[in-house]
Amino acid sequence: MEWFEPTGLAFFLLLTGDADLWRIIFTSLICSVIALLLISPAAIALGFLIAKITFPGRRALVVLVQALLSFPTVVVGLVLYMLLSRQGPFGFLKLLFTPEAIIIGYMIIAFPVLVVFTLSAVQGADPRIYETARSLGASPLRSALTTLFEVRFGVMAAVFNGFGRVVSEVGCAIMVGGNIAGLTRNIPTAIALETSKGDFAQGIALGFVLIVVAIGINAALAWLQGRGGLE
Amino acid sequence: MSAPLFSLRQLAKQFGTRVLFENERLEFESGSGYVLTGPNGSGKTTLLRIVAGLEPAGGLIEFRGQLSLIAAYPEEWRREVVYVHQQPYLFHTSIEKNLGYGLARRGMPAAERGEHARDALEWAGLGDRREVPPHKLSGGEKQRAALARAKVLNPTLLLLDEPTANLDGDARKQVLELVTALCIENHTVVVASHDPEIIRLAILNRVHVADGHIKSDD
Repeated sequence: MEWFEPTGLAFFLLLTGDADLWRIIFTSLICSVIALLLISPAAIALGFLIAKITFPGRRALVVLVQALLSFPTVVVGLVLYMLLSRQGPFGFLKLLFTPEAIIIGYMIIAFPVLVVFTLSAVQGADPRIYETARSLGASPLRSALTTLFEVRFGVMAAVFNGFGRVVSEVGCAIMVGGNIAGLTRNIPTAIALETSKGDFAQGIALGFVLIVVAIGINAALAWLQGRGGLE
Repeated sequence: MSAPLFSLRQLAKQFGTRVLFENERLEFESGSGYVLTGPNGSGKTTLLRIVAGLEPAGGLIEFRGQLSLIAAYPEEWRREVVYVHQQPYLFHTSIEKNLGYGLARRGMPAAERGEHARDALEWAGLGDRREVPPHKLSGGEKQRAALARAKVLNPTLLLLDEPTANLDGDARKQVLELVTALCIENHTVVVASHDPEIIRLAILNRVHVADGHIKSDD
C-alpha cells in the first residue's frame, strides 16, 4: 500500500522529535493561543453587550457578525496583506511575513466566532443571574462577570471553537505569514506545501497532530462540563 | 409622625400601551412589615422590582430622606435593598459561597464571610447543606437558602416575591416561619403574596394592588 510507508515515517518523525516538525507545531499553537488570549476579552465583552443591551441597529449588527463567520479567511488574508504591505497604510510596522501578522489575522478570524458563541450563551442565560447579582449589591461590571461565569461552559465553547477555527486555518496564514520555514510555517501551511511537493510523511504527521488537537479540545470541554456538574 | 424609610411618588409604569400605574404613591415605614396583595397581573412583582431598582419606571423615589428619579436609582442604595425572586436563582457554586457573594461585594474578608454564612445557614435550617451545589437542593431548601442569602446582608429593606409559591407541606411551613422571623427581627420587609397565611400575619400591614391603584388598609 502506498500510504503505509509515509504514514509510518510520519509517526517516526513525531516520535523522534523531529526539530522541523515540532517547530511547525509550536508556531501553529503559539500563534493560535496568543491570538485567542488577545482577542477573547474584547470579543466576549461585545458578545455580552449585544446580548444584554437593546439599541438601534442591534439586529443588523448581529446579522453582520454572523455573516463574518462565513467570511473566507483568504479574503481576510488579502485585506490584511494590503494593509501590512510596504505600500499599505501599516507597512511602516514591517509586520508582513512575521508571526505577528499571522496572530493579527487569527484575531480577526476568531473574533466573530467568539462574539456569536458568547452572544448565544448569554442570550440563553437565565435573566435572574444578572438581577440576583445586582440585587445582592454587585456593580454592573461584576454582575456581567457573574453572568459570564454562570454560562462559563458556553464561553469556553466559544474560545475552543475560535481556537479550532484558527489552528486549522490556511488561507490567511499563508498570505500574511508567507510560509517561511522556521519562522511562519505552521501546521496547515506546511501540510499544503509538503503535499504539493509529494512529501506525504510530514503532511500526515501534521494532519495527525491537528486531529489530536481537535479531539483534545472537545475532550477538555466535555471534561470541564462534567466537573461543573452539568453533564 | 416620622418620615417614611422609603417612598415612591408619582409612580408611572406602562408596558407597551397598557398603563399599569399612573401617579401612584407608596410608603414603607422603618422596621415595619408589609404584604402586597392583589390578583395576578395587578403589578405586585413589578412594584417590588421597581423598589429594588430592577425595573425602569417614571416617578420619584425617596430613601432615608434622599430623593432620586426612579430611572436614576442610586448605586449605593442597592447595598441596602435586597430583592428575592419568586423562584430564586442560586449561583452554580456551594450554598455557603452563594451566601458569601453579597458579603464579598461589601468588602468583607473571606474568613468573616464564611462565619456569617454559616450562621445564616443555621438560621435557615441548612447548616448541614453548606457545601451542597444548588441543583441538589429541593425547592423549599432553595427558597430558604435565598432567604438566608438575603438575611446575611442585613438589608435595610427586604423584598420577597411570593416566597411560599410552588411550595407545599413542610417546605411551605418552614419558609413561612423564616418570613415571619424576618418580619419580627425588625427588618423592613415587603412581601408580595397570595398565601392566605402570610396575608393574615398580624405583624404585616396590608397593601392592595389592583386596577392600577395602590391602597393601604389603614
